[in-house]
Amino acid sequence: MKKIQQDLTLLPEMFKKVAFGIMVLSGLLVLLSILKVIAIDKEIIASIAQSVFLISLLMLVITRDKIEDELTMRIRLKAFAASFIYGVTIVIVEPLIHFLFGDSFLTGKGAIELLISMFLFYFIIKYIMKKSR
Amino acid sequence: MKNTIKVQRATRDLTQEALAKQIGVSRQTINSIEKNRYVPSTVLALKISKVFDKSVNEIFELEEED
Repeated sequence: MKKIQQDLTLLPEMFKKVAFGIMVLSGLLVLLSILKVIAIDKEIIASIAQSVFLISLLMLVITRDKIEDELTMRIRLKAFAASFIYGVTIVIVEPLIHFLFGDSFLTGKGAIELLISMFLFYFIIKYIMKKSR
Repeated sequence: MKNTIKVQRATRDLTQEALAKQIGVSRQTINSIEKNRYVPSTVLALKISKVFDKSVNEIFELEEED
């Protein structure tokens, strides 16, 4: 049957290995910087490592699972929605927490940190939903 | 929506895993459908009915709250 309603287009399963490889690379970059093997400013290295880590997380999110069917796609979309709501909630609530408890309570999150936490939230929700399906 | 997949499987001595393989989904998806936790798409419902050689209405039935 020709599908009119297209599902999300995902990367093949092998890209999971590529994503984990990129993740290790970002860790390695930080490690080399700490050991002073790389003589580049630490802030630049941290920024590059964060971006590389973000790319690996994105790759993990858009890569197919071993068994991909309509239920896993539904779980995927629900987890996407949950992480989006989480992100918006954090952006709204964080200034309020700053206002109520002062800056010492919570340090301000940058865009990369927020995106990383959204990705982690996505993985947690997806894992829980897959376990309870 | 209730269904009779478990009964149909039992009469044909078919495991969840075997049924899942025939229609190209995971065993967990079959389990979720059987326990009424997930309502399958029309395409999947038709595939299930084809395996059991029954009409969709014989396998899936609407409940009052649907």
